[in-house]
Amino acid sequence: MKRRVVLVDDHELFRAGVRGELGEGVEIVGEAGSVAEAVPLILELDPEVVLLDVHLGDGGGEAVIAGVAPERPGVKFLALSVSDAAEDVIGVIRAGARGYVTKTISSGDLADAVERVAAGDAVFSPRLAGFVLDAFREGARVGDDAELDVLTPREREVLQLIARGYRYKEIAARLHLSVKTVESHVSSVLRKLQLSSRHELTRWAHERRLI
Amino acid sequence: MNTVSALRFDASKDDRIVAGVCGGLAATLGVDATLVRLVFALLALAGGAGILLYLALIVYTDGRVAIGAPLVAAAAALLLLALGLSVIAVLGVSLIVAGLATILVQGGSIRPGGSLPVLGIVLLVAGAVIFLGRGGVSFSLVAPGSLIGALVLVIGPWVWQLVAERTERIRLEERAEVAARIHDSVLQTLALVQRHAGDPTRVAAVARRQERELRRWLYGGGFGSTATLSDALAEAATDVEELHGVRVELASAGDAPLDESVAQLVLAAREAMTNAAKFSGADEISVYEETTDRSVSVFVRDRGVGFDRSAVPADRRGLSESIEARMLRAGGAAAVTAVPGEGVEVELTLPRRPS
Repeated sequence: MKRRVVLVDDHELFRAGVRGELGEGVEIVGEAGSVAEAVPLILELDPEVVLLDVHLGDGGGEAVIAGVAPERPGVKFLALSVSDAAEDVIGVIRAGARGYVTKTISSGDLADAVERVAAGDAVFSPRLAGFVLDAFREGARVGDDAELDVLTPREREVLQLIARGYRYKEIAARLHLSVKTVESHVSSVLRKLQLSSRHELTRWAHERRLI
Repeated sequence: MNTVSALRFDASKDDRIVAGVCGGLAATLGVDATLVRLVFALLALAGGAGILLYLALIVYTDGRVAIGAPLVAAAAALLLLALGLSVIAVLGVSLIVAGLATILVQGGSIRPGGSLPVLGIVLLVAGAVIFLGRGGVSFSLVAPGSLIGALVLVIGPWVWQLVAERTERIRLEERAEVAARIHDSVLQTLALVQRHAGDPTRVAAVARRQERELRRWLYGGGFGSTATLSDALAEAATDVEELHGVRVELASAGDAPLDESVAQLVLAAREAMTNAAKFSGADEISVYEETTDRSVSVFVRDRGVGFDRSAVPADRRGLSESIEARMLRAGGAAAVTAVPGEGVEVELTLPRRPS
């Protein structure tokens, strides 16, 4: 059973490229080039996964998630971007995306990522893992909700290995865990990233942008 | 050179009662013609100033500014007289206005090197002396205001011009800088891509290098400046990509200034990337940099063929000299994990001195 995917990116050329690369493994049921096109299309098609560009002509990927999520909570979003700005990346994750990968990702890895997101897991690229580790730096001040505001040592270990370029299977082998456990650690980090109210996160993203 | 542009308007041919002056003026100012006519009617009651001004404007719209201007001045004088000013005061005000007009018309400026028309100054000063000296006590409150007004009239355009020129200059400089960057980088890259269209590896490497450079410029420390560890690593990664046609995936958490020992760390990391690119056979290398308060760490990992340390010939100095010994000299350490068939990871660490 192929995963039903909608592709949202304002670059026609890029959409064509992804369609060509992913053609085998998934079924691209629709494409949109703007927030205005994307929201009604996704509501109508009800796909499993939306590959979402962080930057769109008439707003960000965040706007698409905000327009779709209340009515179609089952649709999973995977952010796909060339953007390096931590602010954008963290922003789209906090809006509800289940992961972030850069556009230079190989087609095999992208297919894996779509599958993983469709199955309800989180997908962190090495770069996103680095951002998260930086944002949840050790020794940084803890907010109101301590559980949401710090990473456990295990979560930190898992993220470091992701940042170092390890795949989930390799991480599991190295830490003597099951792949499922690794996945649940990553999902837990995603949840913290989305729900943590620590204002350091916002400030940090902002500072990254300004440096 | 800036010229004081006069209000342009033509007598209206459609909306006219006498000569269309009020209609034309109303159209230029964007107000209702009746309002303009009302103002002229009121002015006409002030010693006939309105009538004179109307005549002056008829002449003006005919293009005979030289005749129109004195008529306007006379109308203004009539108005002032009608408002109850003494003849002396009107003379003073007229001289001040004439002086200012002369300065503006001749393009006076108090900037260094700018000219100040002597005639204008003389008229201005004479007017001020007459006005302040014999204009009557009742104007002692008006006089300072008039002087400030006069100053604003003279200096205002100059200040405005200065600010406008400065803004424009900054804008042009920024534009020139952006253009230079685009030319040096993006356009060169596009040219290279066209020339090597048949060589995907090279095209990909060139495109990735360009992407990194632009990214660094947009979000990082700017072009060519490698003041921090992550900038320097990005540069090393780009060079390795370009030289060996592999992809280097760079992630980082935290950053450190590029001091002597950190620079050594970057050189060691570069050597590790080069080794991975040359010997591992993998098409992608992962580099992760992590900076905490206590240490700086860089991990260089490939998923290639790996190697057996004991089988490496003793004369191959890349690993022992360029990586391990270099890290020791810098006060840090290097650890190499190599598994045949599974790839290599080089971990470089450097303790940070408490600052």
